[in-house]
Amino acid sequence: MTATLPSRPTATTGAPVTLPRHRSARATALFIVLGIALALLTVYAAGRGQLAIPAGEVWGSIMHRIGLDWGTMPTHPQGDNTLWQVRFPRIALAIIVGAALSSAGALMQGIFGNPLAEPSVVGVSTGAAFAAAFVIVFQINLVGSWTTALFAFVGGLITTLLVYALSRADGRTEVVTLVLTGIAVNAVCSAGLALMIFLGDTQEREQIVFWQLGSLNGSRWEYVGVVTPFVVVGLLGAMLMARKLDVLALGDRAARHVGIDVERLRLVAIVLVALLTAAAVSFAGIIAFVGLVVPHLIRMLVGPGHRVLVPASALAGAVLLLGADLIARTAVTGADLPIGMLTSLVGGPFFFWLLRRTRKTAGGWA
Amino acid sequence: MHRPALRIVQRLAIVALFASVVAACGITPGGSGPSGNDAAAVDLASAEVLTDAKTYVGEAHASLASTAIKPITNDPQQTLPVTVTDAQGTTVTITDTSRILALDIYGTLSQTVFELGLGDQVVGRDISTQFDEAAELPLVTSNGHDLNAESILALDPTVILTDTSLGPWDVILQMRDSGIPVVVTDSKRSLDNVGSLTEEIAAALGVPAEGKLLSERIEKEAAATQAEIAKVAPQAVQDKLRMVFLYVRGQAGVYYMFGEGSGADGLIEAVGGYDVTKEIDWNGMKPVNDEAIIAAQPDLIIMMTKGLESVGGVDGLLDRLPAIANTPAGENRRIVDMQDSQVLSFGPRTAEVLNSLAVAIYAPESAR
Amino acid sequence: MTLRLTKVSASLGGHPILHDVSLEIVPGELVALVGPNGAGKTTLLSVMSGDVEPSSGTAELDGVELRRWKVSALARQRAVLPQEQRLAFGFRVVDVVRMGRAPWARLPEEDLDDTIVAESMHRTDVLGLAERTFPTLSGGEKARTSFARVLAQQTSVALLDEPTAALDIRHQEQVLAEARRLAADGHAVVAVLHDLTVAAAHADRICVLADGRLRADGPPREVMQPDVLGEVYGHPVDVIDHQGRLVVLPHLINHTPTEEPSCAPALS
Repeated sequence: MTATLPSRPTATTGAPVTLPRHRSARATALFIVLGIALALLTVYAAGRGQLAIPAGEVWGSIMHRIGLDWGTMPTHPQGDNTLWQVRFPRIALAIIVGAALSSAGALMQGIFGNPLAEPSVVGVSTGAAFAAAFVIVFQINLVGSWTTALFAFVGGLITTLLVYALSRADGRTEVVTLVLTGIAVNAVCSAGLALMIFLGDTQEREQIVFWQLGSLNGSRWEYVGVVTPFVVVGLLGAMLMARKLDVLALGDRAARHVGIDVERLRLVAIVLVALLTAAAVSFAGIIAFVGLVVPHLIRMLVGPGHRVLVPASALAGAVLLLGADLIARTAVTGADLPIGMLTSLVGGPFFFWLLRRTRKTAGGWA
Repeated sequence: MHRPALRIVQRLAIVALFASVVAACGITPGGSGPSGNDAAAVDLASAEVLTDAKTYVGEAHASLASTAIKPITNDPQQTLPVTVTDAQGTTVTITDTSRILALDIYGTLSQTVFELGLGDQVVGRDISTQFDEAAELPLVTSNGHDLNAESILALDPTVILTDTSLGPWDVILQMRDSGIPVVVTDSKRSLDNVGSLTEEIAAALGVPAEGKLLSERIEKEAAATQAEIAKVAPQAVQDKLRMVFLYVRGQAGVYYMFGEGSGADGLIEAVGGYDVTKEIDWNGMKPVNDEAIIAAQPDLIIMMTKGLESVGGVDGLLDRLPAIANTPAGENRRIVDMQDSQVLSFGPRTAEVLNSLAVAIYAPESAR
Repeated sequence: MTLRLTKVSASLGGHPILHDVSLEIVPGELVALVGPNGAGKTTLLSVMSGDVEPSSGTAELDGVELRRWKVSALARQRAVLPQEQRLAFGFRVVDVVRMGRAPWARLPEEDLDDTIVAESMHRTDVLGLAERTFPTLSGGEKARTSFARVLAQQTSVALLDEPTAALDIRHQEQVLAEARRLAADGHAVVAVLHDLTVAAAHADRICVLADGRLRADGPPREVMQPDVLGEVYGHPVDVIDHQGRLVVLPHLINHTPTEEPSCAPALS
């Protein structure tokens, strides 16, 4: 039996009651700004790199690649290759990894009901790092150059599911238990990682450290091709559950009262987070703070509604990482700064500032 | 409200800029250049050999007799194109060697290329390649050991020789994707494969005959030096100096012992020493425990120069790692250091390396 | 939609809280659940909402045991107003009320979302707060917002846990008037109330819970007896009738001094 609609009350003015007009203009403006920023930054980044190629030649190279005979091709004999084998895949991967990490962070914060949550809480990053170190030290070569990425991906996924499974009791997963289990599993993986570092020789150790610091150096189109579908699936999934994620803010009990299957939602969301993060981490190493800081910023600008938060975070994360990688590969001649270091250097202090500023309006910790 | 957002963006930009400047200051792309007191070492044969190497007190720095390149020929006869199977089993065809890049962590590959007489065709270098003939070449590594793809492509190389000691591997793959033939050589550095490594490099560059000549020369020189060493080094096992190769870095109490398979084992044997890591079946390069060092009781410790500097010289070493002070090597201050890029590189300078180490060990007065 | 509890006993964390409680809530009535602290009122409400499973006895909605209802279907039948209002993020008031419409997503009723949300907010007098962020509201405003959310859920059963706890007189009367109207419209409403006078004024039926047992269940005039109340609350009360309305007055505790304090300053 469906509920009867309450008869329309007459408001004081006698007119029917309506909601104040919803101001979605700000969200639209944000998307436009981010979209333009991304487009401009991509163009700018395409023209910058250790091998100097004038903008006109970059344009010419792109035009020729799509079959149009406009503009001049790069004069440097390896200019075209530099653009298409080295720079463009790197730009593409930066965008995709940035989008993946930020949307994973937004998802994570939604399902934990805590603005301090980061994907690393469930052990994705450490599990992936451990698996990658394992491959490096034991020189496993199952699928050639894909081996490290594959193992990292599987390692991240297994760790996440392990954390989730271990923190379930009576068919329910308490947030606090999840975090504590994550800490424990993280500790185990870190120990494993330390063991790998011990067992390795100098070169292997350098590789592991290199991987841990995060870097987009060496990005290839194949990697872009592998990560993209994961990110697309992850983003789409997150968008589909956006409304339900909003309701989770009421707390587990109240959300259940409103018909949300909290357990299933949490499980699906965690799997999506694992997919997104593992895909990113497998090819770019561990890049910290993007998943924490970007959703925060977006939330401050357009509020916590996930329908806008997730895609906006993805866009903003792409812009952020593209910018950070641009600095990483052009700031010092001949050098490639570890991008994880850059994001931490910026993200760390920013995080402190955020803590102080948003405590009041965010509603405190759940 | 967009104003706070703009402020956020501005602050972010400033912090990011600051961060990159700080980072830039922190990065020293330069490597270990030849230090000021790297005077040309004497030949062991004419050096002042100690009567009892075990009781001598004092540290010594081993410097090469000469870092100059002695090409086996100034007019190598190249046969191109050539197809080789590299150390990983990849078949590579090289058609043009006018722009060569030879990159590895020790600089052995580029040295060998120069010694093959093809030095004028080399267009770039790694951080360990410090000899005069190559000093002007542009660096293609960043942060010491990372290959920089765009820097490499900027030089438009026609062939790249490398082993797996420099990374990331993806950059190598990017080079292959760009159509540049990449030949991956053996990454092991030891006395046993100096010859074969030389011939691998020569084959890839189309000068197999010169390669054979060079490898024979290196092996002959090394054998000659070893004979000289045999004259001054104690023969009986119990008289040999107990030696160990230690890798030390900085303040963190990190020190590694280099054992079997690290190249240090062959080195110690070649200079007539007794490798203490053999007693404990020590493989590879692993962090070592204080008591183990004391138990090993080495008479002499070989180290890399930069590592020794990073702990503050011999005084700093004994201060920071007191376990060493409880060994004969520590008590007698018998620390022999040599440039990082030279001591384990083997390759064309093998004989000189052995010679200068031997001088520092058995005739340290002449090494001053 | 009848909510029926039959001989329900329930424990929390191993401690038995409810013993053998049987009651029935039918559409069209506002039932007040009263009793002293620790009597088990919230636990009883939790059993009714399906959050807590009875250790013995059955709790049924519309003849089907609560634990056999699917979460989404149950959400379309009963709404719960919790005692405490938490919100993890700074959603706006209108967003929070809209969350009450979640059970009707992708159903025809979804088209009415905007209208229903607006009216619910009007009825609880939070329409003017629509754009404010929830965490910046006062306790009372939060409570009214949550009540609006419950109204927006449009269920035939509404379970309210202390809906008036943080409210001033005006809003308290407003909320309870709304609850009465819900009942009059054919909903089944259960409200846990701490104020006996308020309960007597608004409820069709009062259930008195003490030590986990149902002590009384009936219309206010029947249940509000000084001797029963006095025993249940462990404190003597008077029940007076003021112009047809029952008022419960607890006796005051008097401290009569036995002698003047000897160090009282002499007043000149």
